[in-house]
Amino acid sequence: MNATDIQIAICGSAGDGTIAAGDILRNAVAAAGYRVICFDVYPPEIRGFGKCISRLRITTEQSYSLKRQSDVLVSLDDSHAIPHAGEVRDNGAVIFESQSIAQCGEGEHMSGHVLPGQIPYGFPLRELAQKATGGARSRNLVVLGYIAGLLGLAPTSFQRIIEKKFAKQGPAVVSRNQAGFQAGFDAGAGTFKLDDVAFGPFEKPASAGKVIMLSGNAAVVQGCLDAELDTFFGYPITPATTIMERLASELPKRGRRLLQTECEISAIAATIGAGFAGSRTATATSGPGLALMAEMLGLATITETPCVVFVSQRGGPSTGMPTKTEQSDLNAALYGSPGDAQRIVIAPTNVEGCYRCAGKAFEMAERYQTPVIVLLDLYLSNRYETVTLSESGSPFVLDANKPLRRLEPGEAYQRYALTPDGISPRAVPGDANCMHVITGLEHNELGRPNDSAEMHTAMSRKRHDKLLGALAHPDFTVTKRFGDTGKVKVGILAWGSTFGECLEAMFMAQAEGIRCAAMKVVMLSPFPEKAISAFMDDCDAVLVPEVNYEGQFAQLVQGVLARPVVRLSRVPSSPMPVELILGEIRRLSGVNA
Amino acid sequence: MSIPAMPVFVDVKLREVQESGRLEYRSRSLPTWCPGCGYFSIVEGVTHACNEMGISRDQSVVVSGIGCASRFPFFVNLYGFHTLHGRVLPVATGIKTANDRLTVIGIGGDGDGFAIGGGHISHAAKRNVDITYLLFDNGIYGLTKGQTSPLSAVGLRTTTTPFENPERPLNPLMMLLSYGASWVGQAYAGHPDHLREMITQAVAHRGFSYLHILSPCVTFDKTSKTYVNLGLQVRKLPENHDPSNLMAAMHQAQDMDHPALGLYYQQFRPTLGDTFEQVSAKAGGHNT
Repeated sequence: MNATDIQIAICGSAGDGTIAAGDILRNAVAAAGYRVICFDVYPPEIRGFGKCISRLRITTEQSYSLKRQSDVLVSLDDSHAIPHAGEVRDNGAVIFESQSIAQCGEGEHMSGHVLPGQIPYGFPLRELAQKATGGARSRNLVVLGYIAGLLGLAPTSFQRIIEKKFAKQGPAVVSRNQAGFQAGFDAGAGTFKLDDVAFGPFEKPASAGKVIMLSGNAAVVQGCLDAELDTFFGYPITPATTIMERLASELPKRGRRLLQTECEISAIAATIGAGFAGSRTATATSGPGLALMAEMLGLATITETPCVVFVSQRGGPSTGMPTKTEQSDLNAALYGSPGDAQRIVIAPTNVEGCYRCAGKAFEMAERYQTPVIVLLDLYLSNRYETVTLSESGSPFVLDANKPLRRLEPGEAYQRYALTPDGISPRAVPGDANCMHVITGLEHNELGRPNDSAEMHTAMSRKRHDKLLGALAHPDFTVTKRFGDTGKVKVGILAWGSTFGECLEAMFMAQAEGIRCAAMKVVMLSPFPEKAISAFMDDCDAVLVPEVNYEGQFAQLVQGVLARPVVRLSRVPSSPMPVELILGEIRRLSGVNA
Repeated sequence: MSIPAMPVFVDVKLREVQESGRLEYRSRSLPTWCPGCGYFSIVEGVTHACNEMGISRDQSVVVSGIGCASRFPFFVNLYGFHTLHGRVLPVATGIKTANDRLTVIGIGGDGDGFAIGGGHISHAAKRNVDITYLLFDNGIYGLTKGQTSPLSAVGLRTTTTPFENPERPLNPLMMLLSYGASWVGQAYAGHPDHLREMITQAVAHRGFSYLHILSPCVTFDKTSKTYVNLGLQVRKLPENHDPSNLMAAMHQAQDMDHPALGLYYQQFRPTLGDTFEQVSAKAGGHNT
């Protein structure tokens, strides 16, 4: 059996059900055992004339990013889909509404924009919808059925997912949508096949765990739940909001608490208050919210209060582009606060990483008594991947606090006792005879205000040094190298969501005979100096691709290691194109592209 | 445990205090306030209330923001969190959300509460977080050495209003009553017996209790909220005032020239903790 690797793009206007169709499709193929990566693009408006695209890459093997070229483009709204005709590969299919050709002006219909070599596939979408459901509202389902029919996917799992998805809206809506799907399926089945796509019967691989389909934000939520998150405080902001929304329905079921606060400042303030009171707690925000939280993050650092902040970056500065992805809040995450406010900053590179980083963030926050920022971006928050989760209980440590020692009679509890590892045994309100006051003022070991040079130096050292322990945190991938071992022509150093594109580019370059390697950096602070330096020793040239204008991570690497890197900084309002990275690899390795 | 000498202003009651067991709630730190500051009697009032109610010291947290008032947690022997300017209430809300069993007392000054922190009060009141918020009102910014505050009187000369404060002060009691605070009262540091009685009541109230405490700043305000002026201005709420009557409370709160002391308004309704329980019940959950 051939390996499947197919990418489908569904394009429509806001309100057409484009994203819903993508959602059903990805769940159906995931249920069949395929690996899926999916990323939806939608406008900031709810309705009106906004463009929505749902892109899905469906594979039998693990893949790391979307392909630049789709195999199938489905148009629910030609005016939006026409500009995307070029993204369909040679011999790829373009599916569109055939009926309206006569009513369209010249150049307004998809049929006139299909490029030579692409296969135009017009079918009477509206008519089928009308016949099957009595209206045009289920057009998205008709199209979906059509694709399933064309590709020879089994309709039963689709029907089951449609039933589940629309159950809340009543049986009439369910049956209407199911009928729409079936009509499309019947029309599509057996009529057409992409000759170079194998999408036949596929044997589900035996998996070591539970394979499910999650978005990055949903994976964060799953990580929070498996780490037994106790309290959550948040304020809505795109693209982090769905973390709070999902937790709002999950936490109360577990008798745990979520509060939507009046602003980001109160969200982080309440998070820190809850952390002080001994709760496993978190908040989630995006760049503008992170800016508001900056002062409070300094408070969490100096008071050594564990708390977790999930930050999903979007285009900036200021309100910027709320529905477009960017990796430009790295500096804010690392440094945004008064004084030397060191903190742990980790950035997952894929959806499974979102799950692991979310759970591990709580461990680290407690272990090192510090705020932990988990840095996602819109591309990671909103993209869907099939992930494999362990079925044997939580993989996270549920209480990582340094235990209290029994105090001698008359001995005062020292909240900030100076210890060899910089971590002080932690008491929380409710613990008997450990009363103490914590403060944003510099303090002594008891927590009493003290601004002497000696104390400020000792406490600064403590707050800094204890974090270095995180570089060896158990069961956590700080950095990881991929590709060729030993000396290579080009090494790619990447963080966050862009790493998937880097890996794809690296595989392509390897296939072209270029010796190259890639290192993903998950922990950004404290900075894994040794690992990165060793990697750079092996590379003739080091390429740092990232989706921001200045090259913030490249600056960090150069600043710490004082070694040159080649920046590939672009702000395409979308993920970094794989071809762009590949082009740079070729250039750096001396191959003329 | 040796008790450091306290300023004469409160020292007069030292023996009585020592005998009452109230000193359990005092820390070894000597308050850093100016001699004569009204805040000394608030410390005394809080320790009295804790003692009166038999509050467990390790089950209590005092939360403060920034300013003279906000040094308060260092002077009592309870868990304490000295936070950032204006953020007393959200931090206290977080603590209470994490652990409903704790007694939480928020401490703030007039600048902390009604300037930078003004946006949080309405929400704490609306949610009926079961905390006590003691607002120390001396009508001036003391710790930054005498600038105007949102509660400064018209005409007050401060370092930032050298040609007299042109703005009229906010009316905090009207605000709190309209925000839906479930317990609203006013006291005066110059009447310590009444003050400690009010603090006890406020802490005892189940829900969000707001106690406005008028207190002179003897260092930076020698003309407006002085002991002499406040002593002449304050009055008691009428004998027949009904604390369940919101309109009557608002009527009393309007008179800022003659601030009335006492319990303006009290209402019993579900607290934030109760709401969490209700939401969990609706979700079919159980408390762990």
